[in-house]
Amino acid sequence: MKTNPSKYLLPITILLGIYYLLLGIYLNRLGFFSQEGLFYIEKTKIVVDGFGDRLKVMGLTAPILPFYASFIFSFSKVTELFAPVIASAVCTTVLFYILANALLKRIEDTFYLFVLLIIFTLHPGILYAACSGKSVGMVLIFFLLFFFNLLKFYRSNTTFHVSIASICLVVLIFCDYKFIWLALFFIPLVLSITVKTLNLGEQESIFRLFQSFNNPSLRRKLINKTFALYVILFILPLACVVCYKLLNLTHAQDLNYFDESPYATWRVLSDKLSFDQLSTSSVYQLPETSLLISARIILFCPLILVAIYLFKNSTYQMLTLLTPFAFVEFLHIKYEKVFLAHEYYLIFLVLSLLCIVYRSQTIKNQQVLKLVVGALVLVQLYTGYFFLQNSSISEERAFSTILFNGSPDPKQEENRELAVYLNHLPDDAHVLIDDAIAYPVVAFTSNLHKLTLPYEGAFLSAIEAPDKYDNYVLLATDKNEVTGFTELNVKYVPIIKKANSALKLRRVYETNDWILYKVFE
Amino acid sequence: MSIPELLINDGFISQHDREKIDDLSKRSGLSFIKIALNFGYISRKNYERSLLNAGYVFKEIRELPFDTEVLEKIELKFADQHVAIPLRIENNRVITIMADPSNQLFIDYVRFTYDCEPEIIVASDLDIVWLSHKLLGGKYVKSAVFELLKRDPKSSAFITFTSSQLVFIFAFLALIVIGLMINFKNTSITINVLISSFFLVAILFKLFLALVGSRFELHQAVTREDLRELKEEDLPIYTILLPVYKEDKLIKKLIWNLQALDYPREMLDIKLLIEEDDSKTLNAVRNLDFPAIFEVVVVPFHMPKTKPKACNYGLHFARGKYLTIYDAEDIPDTDQLKKIVSMFNQLPSHFICIQSALNYFNRNENFLTRMFTLEYSYWFDYMLPGLDTLDIPIPLGGTSNHFKLENLIELGAWDPFNVTEDADLGLRAYAKGYKIAVVNSTTYEEANNEPFNWIRQRSRWIKGYMQTYLVHMRNPVALWRKLGWKGFLGFNFFIGATPLTFLVYPFLLAIFISYLVFDLSTIRTLFPDWVLFMSIFNLMVGNILMIYINMMAVFKRRYYELILFSIANPVYWLMHSIAAFKGLYQLVVKPFYWEKTEHGLSKVNSPTNVVK
Repeated sequence: MKTNPSKYLLPITILLGIYYLLLGIYLNRLGFFSQEGLFYIEKTKIVVDGFGDRLKVMGLTAPILPFYASFIFSFSKVTELFAPVIASAVCTTVLFYILANALLKRIEDTFYLFVLLIIFTLHPGILYAACSGKSVGMVLIFFLLFFFNLLKFYRSNTTFHVSIASICLVVLIFCDYKFIWLALFFIPLVLSITVKTLNLGEQESIFRLFQSFNNPSLRRKLINKTFALYVILFILPLACVVCYKLLNLTHAQDLNYFDESPYATWRVLSDKLSFDQLSTSSVYQLPETSLLISARIILFCPLILVAIYLFKNSTYQMLTLLTPFAFVEFLHIKYEKVFLAHEYYLIFLVLSLLCIVYRSQTIKNQQVLKLVVGALVLVQLYTGYFFLQNSSISEERAFSTILFNGSPDPKQEENRELAVYLNHLPDDAHVLIDDAIAYPVVAFTSNLHKLTLPYEGAFLSAIEAPDKYDNYVLLATDKNEVTGFTELNVKYVPIIKKANSALKLRRVYETNDWILYKVFE
Repeated sequence: MSIPELLINDGFISQHDREKIDDLSKRSGLSFIKIALNFGYISRKNYERSLLNAGYVFKEIRELPFDTEVLEKIELKFADQHVAIPLRIENNRVITIMADPSNQLFIDYVRFTYDCEPEIIVASDLDIVWLSHKLLGGKYVKSAVFELLKRDPKSSAFITFTSSQLVFIFAFLALIVIGLMINFKNTSITINVLISSFFLVAILFKLFLALVGSRFELHQAVTREDLRELKEEDLPIYTILLPVYKEDKLIKKLIWNLQALDYPREMLDIKLLIEEDDSKTLNAVRNLDFPAIFEVVVVPFHMPKTKPKACNYGLHFARGKYLTIYDAEDIPDTDQLKKIVSMFNQLPSHFICIQSALNYFNRNENFLTRMFTLEYSYWFDYMLPGLDTLDIPIPLGGTSNHFKLENLIELGAWDPFNVTEDADLGLRAYAKGYKIAVVNSTTYEEANNEPFNWIRQRSRWIKGYMQTYLVHMRNPVALWRKLGWKGFLGFNFFIGATPLTFLVYPFLLAIFISYLVFDLSTIRTLFPDWVLFMSIFNLMVGNILMIYINMMAVFKRRYYELILFSIANPVYWLMHSIAAFKGLYQLVVKPFYWEKTEHGLSKVNSPTNVVK
């Protein structure tokens, strides 16, 4: 009797979700917190418990959609600290479900489902996406849906798929703003699609293009169609970004507030850390050299070669697959002092799985294909581990170390202890904190009402006259890697004393990164 | 020599034609001359020429005296079939006007009915039709006007506002005024939030519909194979109503378009509905120098002078199993009728109407026609299929809706007091449990290319939507029970919300522009941060989505050159607002007034309907 794997899909997905969740919570217990996750936890606390301009925090925290996803799961005090992990676990589970569902609609063979399961349960990159509390899972979902709908569009030529692709791109951009640059690399692709769809006798693409350009009527048609397709695909994301920037301008007096302010996004500090590491490193970081990125991607995800092979006879499908390579190379040039996050490697993994799901049934010799896919999946598991373990980004390395060694991560220990101290301060105590850099501390505190934070109107006055508003001030030490992003660092003490000589500050708590002063008059 | 023999003799028709005419005459009961002149066998000019050569004299008959006792004994339909009418008895002879003086059947009828010999006056068939409908059409025109009102007064727009609706409207306004007086700020904020939320929901719903609709854009309700399976001999009689008023310029075009229809000529029952006082159009038909393929029906004068009244009148003479309406300038896809027959054959019996898509042949003429094309492409290609898929009542388009005749009559046909009778009829059909489908065939119309003409047309549509909304919302609970929650919400969103949106739009825009330009502090108090955030979000997201939806629709139609014009939609909506205010004013002052749309203004003539 033949079994129908579709009916097992939902239970498998649920089990996978539980697996991610348990693993995520376990890693959390071992002390792993991503910067992004902590940032969302802190902003969620402000939105839920704070008083002040909460709307600005709600609307301008970026990336906005992962923040909302995390926000949804902060429904109780118990889940508050795990909310980003729950969100990332759920997103990765959904990603699996979409892929597996698409697979089972096309191929009855359980081998590929097994491949998917292996990758989603064992691949370190996927586990990182699922358990780190980062937005990677969400990015991967919408990246997948964007390309999936593009592929469907190539086949059906319906506006539906191209507009759904466009909507997916909007969501993707609001999950990770850098994906806006994808639009740039679609220009040749869109032209190629248009050339292909023109009603011409000539079959060879280059000659079709030649013919189209040399005939006035065809040229007009070509330009109109290329432009129309480009518009239909990218006007929505571009317009949404413009609107979002305008909202930033009206509410924060800065068009790029969401991308450049440490109050709006965690990326500012993480990029700064990358920059410091790159600029101060004495050893030249060869893996991050531009030209090698594509090679690294192929090493990380050799399955992408199979994907390209599957589309070997379709010019623009092939171009579609090559677009992310150009995109990642561009990112590397554009953000030259920032390490390429694991997320940008994982998009190739998802893309290659999508192509296998979409196209593998067209290959006659399934045995060989399965053998190749199976072997490459095993290779990928190792390269996935290797890349994560040797990542240039410390957070990724830390995840890998905790995941594979089970050793606790001490990185947030100090912040936690400081937060515990703040929690034990009297109820009427007020602490001046700048969450541009101190958001991990705020994330661990239990009572936001004790804190004076920048989203509140009183913050600037409190900096000028801390004695009038607060009993405590939290300052970043010189050892703090991001001390330059706040006024509340050690330089603050002489300045404020100069302004108010009667003011007295006493150290009450000190860690490597922070000093808590009690304010007296 | 009889008239048929005369015509053969003169070489205007062949013997084979005569056999075909006689055969059709036997089957349909129509006289020889009726068929010869209305089914494309001979032009009126040639007919007159032939008769004049034979010594007949055509007389002016419109002013001739008549005797009501004589007229009482003849039925309009019979007179119409034979293109003849007895007027009075004079010198013991029945003064009878005939287009075919050799029509023995009618002569015998006169002899037996009046017991005297007829005195035949030969006249133009069009004059006879005009006179017979004017003299005998009284009961039909009364039925056309009052039938629905008598049968189902609750569904008639004869009363615009019921007492309870007036009480509700004024109570609601009073509540707002009291609220503003007691707490101006909070009441304004509440109104703001309600309007903002409403706008957002409406726009998101429209996007959803567009996506649902676009999903099925490749779905062919009727395929080429289905059409091939259709046998010519199984095709039923198809009635086409063509209500016109002062469309003399379009008559020639109309004939070309109708001749292009791929449907057996003798199975078509095309009726050109001309108002009694519209001598322009009648003369245009008279002056045609090639055979007409439609029958003229003259609608006797009766208020209100609306298109639905004319259609209801024409319905009395319809012979078809299916019926559709086209405007004079419409260019339907050549295979549209066959597609409808095929689709009706496939659909369950409770589908009583099929709507074709409408689009424009003069889309690139000017800004207005481009915007109109954008709007219609969305409406008919995405929104109607979307509504259809979700089983929400479809507001029918003005033309190219194909009905099963018997069900149309059962529904009470069109409401002559409603100026968007099509939308109203669609709802009545849903309320009775019937369904409407959408077919993959397009009728190309002439987009309005003149702003004032456009506003006139649009004000009528918006007024009609208001009328329809008021009629069906007389008892909201009963409507909800009939339509179900989806239908009820759909009705409120598409019929009720459309005029409201256009009425509110200029105020919101004015507030926004004042806020941007003058930075008025009072506006700021009415828009606290969160409301402002929500409103700006709505304004931006709403506009972008609506623009995008329009882009999608023209992209689907491959009208790539129009894609950027979608950006001008906010300006286009302002024109809607002007029309909406005009419509509102007319709803109160003259609710049944039919704002006539001038057709034939376009200089574009493109044969877009040929199905390859």
